[in-house]
Amino acid sequence: MDLLHLTPLEIESLRLSLWVSTWAVLGSLVPGIFIAWVLARVRFPGRALLDGIVHLPLVLPPVVTGYFLLVLMGRHGMIGGWLYDVTGFSFAFSWRGAALAAGVMAFPLFVRAVRLSLESMDRGLEEAAHTLGAGRTRVFFTITLPLSFPGILTGTILAFARSLGEFGATISFVSNIPGETRTLPLALYTLIQQPGGEVGAFRLCIIAVVVALFALMISDFLARRRIFLMHGEK
Amino acid sequence: MNLLLQIYRPLLRLRAFLFLVTFAALIPFPGFGSAEGREKILIFSAGSTINAITEVGDLFNKQGNEKCVISCAASSTLAKQIAQGALADIYISANPKWMDYLSEKDLIEPETRFDLLGNRLVLIEPISNDSRIEITPGLDLAGLLGKERMAMGDPDHVPAGIYGKQALMALGMWDDIKDRVAPMKDVRAALVMVEREETPFGIVYSTDARISKKVRIVDVFPETSHPPIIYPVAILAEKESPATKRLILFLQSPEARAVFLKHGFTVK
Repeated sequence: MDLLHLTPLEIESLRLSLWVSTWAVLGSLVPGIFIAWVLARVRFPGRALLDGIVHLPLVLPPVVTGYFLLVLMGRHGMIGGWLYDVTGFSFAFSWRGAALAAGVMAFPLFVRAVRLSLESMDRGLEEAAHTLGAGRTRVFFTITLPLSFPGILTGTILAFARSLGEFGATISFVSNIPGETRTLPLALYTLIQQPGGEVGAFRLCIIAVVVALFALMISDFLARRRIFLMHGEK
Repeated sequence: MNLLLQIYRPLLRLRAFLFLVTFAALIPFPGFGSAEGREKILIFSAGSTINAITEVGDLFNKQGNEKCVISCAASSTLAKQIAQGALADIYISANPKWMDYLSEKDLIEPETRFDLLGNRLVLIEPISNDSRIEITPGLDLAGLLGKERMAMGDPDHVPAGIYGKQALMALGMWDDIKDRVAPMKDVRAALVMVEREETPFGIVYSTDARISKKVRIVDVFPETSHPPIIYPVAILAEKESPATKRLILFLQSPEARAVFLKHGFTVK
């Protein structure tokens, strides 16, 4: 079998995976940076609780997260039902739901990475900008955000890689629809379930490994480059 | 890799994590050897049988027999686990195909195999609907679905979905419906979708529909519209023992049959 020639099914699931993961990460950026900033900079009661909630998808069985999403964000879910009635927008059985599931599962990794870089940042720089007359917003956009860039970048790639592998929450929330929610891991699962599907599954497995390794290598490369640009030779 | 390590290292350093590992190592691992010389029989059984087979297992145990440990999952998953050397004693499949798969690999005792149960395929809807339709060849099911979807087991691999596809094909509805299917990873997941009103209809086994108070059976699919739904059972290779033979006999006893009937199965 020609390894370099991808079948339509493989191309479709790979394309869908990349699309879903891209949206999952794009959707996580603003809320992720905000929550990371809140956790790193603001002291308030309930901070530990927020921290815990953000990390839940990391420790809960993904199927449970998927079920929560169904109950909350489904067509008749608590939030999803309202959203559908008001705007006509629905996550149910569509790639948007797959992106939401992947985004939620990857969210803790993203927040962790951003928070870490916020916490390791020299707070003196923010204070200096402050004493020189910059307001809170300006300090955030001109000092905090650029300095936390390595964390944001690592977080983005980590979240992207995690999204590519998302399986349990996706299949429970938006099922396994070819061309709509059948991403790489779901296509892999479908093949494994069929007698004689091993060869196809193995090929998809290789594709998944290559994509994941590629994402991690880019992440590492970009992070190094950024550190080099900020600190010079290391 | 610096930043990656920075993120993972604190996780690994957590003392709680170490405690957990130590704790996990202390939990005795239940060993499943052969049925000889121990008091447990490990049954691998199709997901749809979980409630009935658990009850039958308890009954068997109460009559002074060995304890039954039951592992329920998709028939395909279980068959693959057995093929990979899982130490189960008895396998109950929701589909003869997966029993054949093990049979071809010489992993069952062929003379102990027989058809234990039967099931029916039903169309269900959320309890809040009341569409009062009958499944006849002229029914415009696709029209009734509109823009919504039909929840069913994935027709690519879930037995309930395969039967469902065959029934819809026999009734001439498949071509209109195939793009409106929500293929679920197992039949219980399809049930959940209808329970949660995410889809207006679903196709499940009559045994599944019976468990749920949130769905109503719209109609039963004609028995001739799909191959008979048969649950074969067999003792696995080299697991034949007085205990497993007794259990196989017990599965055919009037007490066991009564339990299966109660849960909506047909008995052979």
